[in-house]
Amino acid sequence: MNTRALLLSLAVMAGCATGNVPTGTQAPAERLAAAVVPGHTTKADLLASFGKTKTVVFSSGYEAWLYQSPAGGGRFAEFVILLDPAGVVTKTRQRPPSAP
Amino acid sequence: MRALMGFPLCCSLLALAVPSTAASAQEAPVATVKVTTTRDPVDKSYRKMIKGMERFEREHALSPAASLRFQLLPRTHDVDMTGITLRVAGDTVSLKVPVESDNSFILPRNEGALREDAAVLANRKTTSMTWRAAIETPGLPPGTRRLGDLRLECRVGVEAGLVSNSSPLFGWLSNALTTADGVCNSPEGNYLFFAERPLFGVRLRHGERSEVLPFHMLYAGGIQTPEMLPFCDCQVLLDRTYYVPLWDKNWPDDTLVEFDYMVDTPQVAP
Repeated sequence: MNTRALLLSLAVMAGCATGNVPTGTQAPAERLAAAVVPGHTTKADLLASFGKTKTVVFSSGYEAWLYQSPAGGGRFAEFVILLDPAGVVTKTRQRPPSAP
Repeated sequence: MRALMGFPLCCSLLALAVPSTAASAQEAPVATVKVTTTRDPVDKSYRKMIKGMERFEREHALSPAASLRFQLLPRTHDVDMTGITLRVAGDTVSLKVPVESDNSFILPRNEGALREDAAVLANRKTTSMTWRAAIETPGLPPGTRRLGDLRLECRVGVEAGLVSNSSPLFGWLSNALTTADGVCNSPEGNYLFFAERPLFGVRLRHGERSEVLPFHMLYAGGIQTPEMLPFCDCQVLLDRTYYVPLWDKNWPDDTLVEFDYMVDTPQVAP
């Protein structure tokens, strides 16, 4: 048994966990929309242009990356990027900031 | 608390992984006991699953056109999901339960099995699979689910004990976190759903209103680390997991849940 994993799981189960909302690196929405091109932009491009961010890596080799764009009033829009196992962007999507 | 419903499922594995404190070095005479059947602590309780079915009947209005099935889903990479057999086993009762090719099944009602507090057993290691209720209104557009169906899946799934925490170590916690009303009517009681295929986005739509779900409502909250993942029943289905706001009455039961998949069309093997 991995003690760290056990303690972490217990903490989450006990309601002690924080950070349930992933926090992505901030970048302007317009810049992201202009710079990230499916079929062309690579993981290295993203790192060079926007830096590391919240990432979920799947066993298939695909990765989902989340950047967030300040939208005023403490709200953030989401810019989500899907990378294929070769590290190339295949899809992007944007989510407007939630209503205050 | 976003991923709480993923974690009670993890508890059973955690409990299995906690080293036993029972002394094994002491030598003592051992009585022989004939064991005719064994119950894995994670096997499903027949009584509980019947309770889930009864809840389905009571709250069928959430999903009036759908019927109830249960479904087995992979939890580990190496589990063979073909040819699974299932049976209800009590002290004397043994019922074979037919399993469809999609690994769904209908649980028969049997008074003897209820009386004997039977278990529902699959011919796979219990920790290699996870279980869910499957309630789907017929005729929905491809790549969609109906929110009322998911609301009822949650209530039935929790009532039936499909999200199980059988470890005494965590029993007190399980009881607090896994009552159907607590889980399915609260933003903190998130119940993990699995889509047919890997997801990139999920949108709710009802009439003119639509809303894309935030990133943290996909991928079991996006908080699973490689260390934590083996303890979650989303272990191999992480890219298919999503939450929906079951508790939010502003979204009626007829709300459509639309999926944007990672790959737009299923890849056909050559």
